[in-house]
Amino acid sequence: MTLKLYDKLKHSVRFWLLRTLPTCQQTVETISNSMERPLSLQDRFKVKLHLWICVWCQWYLEHLHLIRAAARAKGDQAVDVVSDVSLSDEARERIRRKLTNQN
Amino acid sequence: MSEPQLKSPDQSPDAGRWLDQHGDYLFKYAVFRLRDDNAAEDAVQETFLAALKAYQHFEGRGSERTWLVGILKHKVVDHFRRLGREAPIGEEADEGPEHREFFERSDGWQGHWNTDRAPTDWHATPAELMERGDFWKVFSDCLSPLPQRTASAFTMREVDGLKTEEICEILNIKTNNLWVMLHRARLHLRNCLELNWFKRER
Repeated sequence: MTLKLYDKLKHSVRFWLLRTLPTCQQTVETISNSMERPLSLQDRFKVKLHLWICVWCQWYLEHLHLIRAAARAKGDQAVDVVSDVSLSDEARERIRRKLTNQN
Repeated sequence: MSEPQLKSPDQSPDAGRWLDQHGDYLFKYAVFRLRDDNAAEDAVQETFLAALKAYQHFEGRGSERTWLVGILKHKVVDHFRRLGREAPIGEEADEGPEHREFFERSDGWQGHWNTDRAPTDWHATPAELMERGDFWKVFSDCLSPLPQRTASAFTMREVDGLKTEEICEILNIKTNNLWVMLHRARLHLRNCLELNWFKRER
C-alpha cells in the first residue's frame, strides 16, 4: 500500500517536472552550450533535474562527450582513414609545374 | 664563426619528391577540414610553395611530413579567415538544420523527444567507438550535408580542439553564432552516427 502511494507520488513529481522544466528541445541546446562555457547556476540546476527524469537527454549528453573524446583522441588518424580521396592528376601536375617554376 | 652543421648546406629541397610522398596525405588533411576540393588543392600548393621558401628553417628536426602539416594548418586557417572576411555571416545565415522533427509529437508533449528519433543507449566507450574502422568515414559523411562553415567550425572545435574564441576570430563570427552552429552540428551528427552505427546492427 505504501509502495503504491510512493510510486504514484513519484509519477506525479516526474509529470509535474516535465511540464515545468524546459523541454528536451531546449535542454539539448543547453547541454551543447555546457560544452562551450560554464552554465549559469539556474541552467545547471534545470539541466540536472531534467536529466534526473529523462533518460533520452542523459544519453544525448553521454553521446556528445563520447563523440568529443573519440574525435580528439583520433584526430591525427583522420587523414589516413578518409582513404578514398586523393589529388587528381590534373591538380598534381599543376602543382608540380608551379613548384618547378619556383625552384 | 661556422654555422652548426644540421644539414649539408648545398642540399636543396626536392619539391617533386615532397609532392609524391606527401601530396595525397596533405590533400586528405585539407579536404577533411575545408570540405572543398578546390580550396584543398590550393592549400596544398601554397603549403609546398611556403615550404620551399622556408626550407632553411627546417633543420631536420622531426619528420618532414609533420613540418609540412604544420605549414598546412596555417594555410587552412588562412582560408577560413579569407572566407570570413569575404562573406561575413549575415542575419539569415544558414547555420544548419534545426531538426525540429526530432521533437515533433502529437500527444501534447510537443518539444520533447519524438520516440522514434530519441537517442538510444549506445553501450559504447570512447575506445570502442575509436576502434571502429569506419569511424572517420561515417563521421565525415555525416558532416557533409551541413553548411560548410558549420561543418568546419565543428571540426575545428571537436577534432582539432581549438578554443571557442579562436574559432570565432578565424571565421569572423560572434560567439552566439558559433554556439548555435555547434549545437546544430551536434544534433545532426549524433543522430546520423546513431543511424549508421547502431541501428543497422540490430
